[in-house]
Amino acid sequence: MSLDELELELRRLRGVLAVGFQESDGLLLVELQAGPDAYPELARDATLIANQGAVGPVAVEVVRWGDRANAPRETRLRLVEITNDPAVGELQVRLALGDDEVVGRASTDHGLLAPVEATVAAIRVFLPELRFLPGWARLVETTPDRRFLVVASVTDPDTQEHRRGAAEGASPVAAATRATLAALNRTIALDLAPLL
Amino acid sequence: MPEPTATLLESLIETARLGSGLASAYRALDLVVDRYGLADAALVVDVPGLGRQVLHAGRRPIGDDEAHLHDAPEGLHTQPPLDEPVVAELLLALGAMALRYDARPDPGGSRPA
Repeated sequence: MSLDELELELRRLRGVLAVGFQESDGLLLVELQAGPDAYPELARDATLIANQGAVGPVAVEVVRWGDRANAPRETRLRLVEITNDPAVGELQVRLALGDDEVVGRASTDHGLLAPVEATVAAIRVFLPELRFLPGWARLVETTPDRRFLVVASVTDPDTQEHRRGAAEGASPVAAATRATLAALNRTIALDLAPLL
Repeated sequence: MPEPTATLLESLIETARLGSGLASAYRALDLVVDRYGLADAALVVDVPGLGRQVLHAGRRPIGDDEAHLHDAPEGLHTQPPLDEPVVAELLLALGAMALRYDARPDPGGSRPA
């Protein structure tokens, strides 16, 4: 039995959500992540399958999870538009949550940090208590077809907690804006939900 | 040393032609991790026959599930977050098709269940 076949057999067991493998000192550790519909004998059945399918000694670990029905609803901000007004040296980022749109502004003097600042400013219109501040943005790669890959970082100054996101765009500014959203969207989803 | 992106792409195409659906999905995850310099990636899909499934890059164990994959919505989940909707949707489609292909009742057939 190949590793693919072994993994598939394990995934067929009721309640199995994920299968992972790790080798250590000649022992193959098989980890099963199981959901709320997993049955009591899952570990026994998985061990039987793993021992039949694996070459050499094998250990099975089953990690059981609770009910995901109560999982929070995810809410994401959408990038509507990025505009640049060279006359006043201002970058504007327009974001939307449902039908509501807001604009964040930053000085273009700040280079690639400007889209991070403008995006955070726009988010702060929705969430005035947002604890993250703009950190930095770096161009990681320019592809041969002139696409730009940027990593952006925001920081909570109280806890020194960082959130980083990566995104590609047609310009470094567009990529940095999307990277900032990527960094924060999951973190702020719960706070945004009541606004919808 | 990590494989270059071009090598990973060739490997993905070759696996899609001749290998299993699962292997193809994992190759695609590896490719995205490499292409975007990600620390981690996982794909959450829901397919007939297998139900909700989580594929973790490198077939690695999820452990304590710090990324909350067990209650994450269907789609591509990366660390750091990657805002590339087209890539995420294509990977989701590939993962779903790959699992359906592998899970079909007639493994010798040529059409996914």
